[in-house]
Amino acid sequence: MAVDEIVFWVFAPISIGSAIAMLLQRNAVHAALFLVVNFFTIAVFYLVLGASFLFAVQIIVYAGAIMVLFLFVIMLLGVDREETLVERLRGQRVMAVGLGAGIAIEIVVAIRAGIGFATKAPANFDETVNRGGNAQALARVLFRQYFFPFEVTSVLLIVAAVAVVVLASRQRRAITRAEAVSSGHREAA
Amino acid sequence: MSTPIAYFVAVSAMLFAIGTVGVLIRKNALVIFMSVELQLNAVNLALVAFSRMHGNLSGQVVAFFSMVVAAAEVVVGLAIIVTVYRRRQSASVDDLTVLRG
Amino acid sequence: MLDLVWLIPFLPLAGAAVNLLLGRRLGKAAGWLATGLVGLGFVLAVATLLDLLGLPADQRVHVADLFDWISVGTFSVDVALRVDPLSITMTLVVTGVGVLIHLYAIGYMDHDPRFGTFFAYLNLFVFFMLMLVLADNYLLLYLGWEGVGLCSYLLIGFWFERPSASSAATKAFVTTRIGDAAMLLGIVLIWLHVGSLDFGAVFGRGASELTEGAATAIALLLLAGAIGKSAQLPLHVWLPDAMEGPTPVSALIHAATMVTAGVYLVVRSHVLFELSGTALTVVLVVGLVSALYAALASIGHFDLKRALAYSTMSQIGFMFFAAGMRFYTGAMLLLVCHAFYKALLFLTAGNVLHGLHDETDMRRMGGLRADMPLSAAWFTIGALSLAGIPPLAGFFAKDQIVGFAATSDRELAWVLASVGAFLSALYIARPLFLTFFGGRRGQERAHEAPAPMQAPLAVLAFLTVAGGLFLALTTESGRLARFLEPVVGAVEHGEAALPDAALIAISIVLALSAVAVAFWVWASGRVDWEAFPQRQPELAGWLANAFYLNSLYAWLVQHPGKAFGRVLTVVDDRVIDGAVNEVAEDVVEASGVAPRIQRGFVRSYALAFLLGAVALLLFLGLRA
Repeated sequence: MAVDEIVFWVFAPISIGSAIAMLLQRNAVHAALFLVVNFFTIAVFYLVLGASFLFAVQIIVYAGAIMVLFLFVIMLLGVDREETLVERLRGQRVMAVGLGAGIAIEIVVAIRAGIGFATKAPANFDETVNRGGNAQALARVLFRQYFFPFEVTSVLLIVAAVAVVVLASRQRRAITRAEAVSSGHREAA
Repeated sequence: MSTPIAYFVAVSAMLFAIGTVGVLIRKNALVIFMSVELQLNAVNLALVAFSRMHGNLSGQVVAFFSMVVAAAEVVVGLAIIVTVYRRRQSASVDDLTVLRG
Repeated sequence: MLDLVWLIPFLPLAGAAVNLLLGRRLGKAAGWLATGLVGLGFVLAVATLLDLLGLPADQRVHVADLFDWISVGTFSVDVALRVDPLSITMTLVVTGVGVLIHLYAIGYMDHDPRFGTFFAYLNLFVFFMLMLVLADNYLLLYLGWEGVGLCSYLLIGFWFERPSASSAATKAFVTTRIGDAAMLLGIVLIWLHVGSLDFGAVFGRGASELTEGAATAIALLLLAGAIGKSAQLPLHVWLPDAMEGPTPVSALIHAATMVTAGVYLVVRSHVLFELSGTALTVVLVVGLVSALYAALASIGHFDLKRALAYSTMSQIGFMFFAAGMRFYTGAMLLLVCHAFYKALLFLTAGNVLHGLHDETDMRRMGGLRADMPLSAAWFTIGALSLAGIPPLAGFFAKDQIVGFAATSDRELAWVLASVGAFLSALYIARPLFLTFFGGRRGQERAHEAPAPMQAPLAVLAFLTVAGGLFLALTTESGRLARFLEPVVGAVEHGEAALPDAALIAISIVLALSAVAVAFWVWASGRVDWEAFPQRQPELAGWLANAFYLNSLYAWLVQHPGKAFGRVLTVVDDRVIDGAVNEVAEDVVEASGVAPRIQRGFVRSYALAFLLGAVALLLFLGLRA
């Protein structure tokens, strides 16, 4: 058994298990934490697959930034809020699980029909593709072939930041006004 | 690497399915959002796996971009959720039925 | 004249057209015009008769082909008139009695606001009746048949403001329709089997080609039509109600002419009837039963016109009876004589109605002899003639038929016929005594009819007296019998158990005794006939309601009719309306389902997405 195999077979169940656990948690904070675990496992997978840069980015950005943001908002909105277990839509759960299983099966079948379960990755990935390390190789591709998408993505980030600022500030003014009105007309409008 | 690539893709498929089920089953908007993130991650995993199989870094690049965009999306989405919460004092998706027919 | 015979029917037709269009402007002249045209028709008929007599006896048939009527493929019918002893006899009766009745009607309908229309209808009737008797083929005969039915409807319901009149008219039309439908089937069968509807072809070629079964079917179907038109059992219910029409109508249509059309049809088609022994027997039985039934019914009715109507039915029954025994000349003789005295009786009844301001109930009459001596005389003559008192016409006609029955193998027929003869005398003497004799029961004094209305009655009375002597002194060699022989065949009768003289004596005795009984019961005052309905309510009820046949028919028609109506209501409500409502409800239901797709739950929308995605993947996967 090679090392990567062991790693795979250890982390795959953790990955899937934490995902299912996230699904079943009534408390949102617990769910977020399980998702963080899941992200870690995926980062490990990236490493195994020879994407070291992504391994780092996954942890820093996803687990470190995004999930933290999630947790902030959860706290903001009431950390002790627990979801009711009553399902109002008839058949939703059954259908959802069924269809979910269906999707998974379909993809697996497609894989089997496509690449087959036996295909292994070419062995000399680190020498040929990742020449000079994964980051350098990635940079070579990113800043040449994918330069334009790279720039566009930067613009996207800026836009997102601006949008959030706008959303947040408008909210504050509206709430101030609403608060003033509901608190008994103590000030002139 | 001696693990067949298909196994990674299978894991990715299962994670994707779990994420989908989560979107459909949970009522808390934040948890739904987290399930969406799970789906995105599953797809990223598949991309990287195939990139490894083909010996090509394009998959990794796309996964990278996907992460960036996911980050931006999370930011905006959470802002929206907070706004909606402020209006309705509820984070439950089932209470948002204004568009019913 | 033989070729101009078409003038005889078409003159009244022209009169009808003129009176319909210009009747109001013509006023009284409409009546004279109508009468004149029919009178002219009579004159022309006499001329035709003379022409016919000029021919040798075995060649007295002339067919005047007027024009091609229908010609479709192998089916071809012409408008052709047949002049032979039978048709000319009928023509003379129709025009002769007709003109007298027209004349009478001028006085009777004097004050009626629709005077002109009345005479138009009368003329139209004469046209159709003449077409019926002069037709040379069954289809033309049927045209006349239907036409007289139409005119009967128009004339019975002439005073249509009276609901009883208009419903009586409808009843007459519908009842005869049943017979007419059967008759049409019979005509179709004739064409199918013989290939032609012309009398010459049917009675010549057809006679040899028709099987007994086919002949029976045809004969019975034609008989059904005759039963309807001649008001025999079981299609007789319309005749008493038809008395709602004006009295001249009752006299002309429902005594002298239209109701005898059935007899004419049977006599004319005797060839077909003789091919089927069964059919003749049916004719005989129908006639006899109708005669007896109507006799009893007549005795039970107190309405003068209805009593006379039933007596007509009974007399026609005798005619059918005679025809059923193959004694066609006897039937025709009775037909002609009956036309005379029945018209006389009805018109006299018209006098009574006229004098009593439309009172028809005999219980409120009585002793009118003092007020209306002339009418009393006419009625007496007519009644005695019908009763069969010699030497009046009725005696010859009745006696010959009863006598003929004695010579047949069926003694029962003779007994029943004699009973019928007795009853006839009884039932006609009754209204005579009730109306004109006995004590006065009514309030008013009746006034006698004016002279113009009496003149036709005088002529009819003369004919009633002399007609028999002229036409039928003996059974075989009477003028009428000899005249009709080429058409209907010679009279064959067997030997009677008793000698002729004895038979005649018996019938005279029966007639006289019946008259005496009638006098004793209804005129002498020694029998309390007025109390009879109370003392014997059941029997009186049976007689007065003509054995409840009318009620039976009403029940038979009403119940299915109402049930059918109910079924139709249900169908209309549940099926038709229901279907429409169902559609509407389905639409509403469907539109109730649709909003369920858009409840507003994001998660169900998402589920829908997923469903679509899975399906799409499946589809793509299966394709590859």
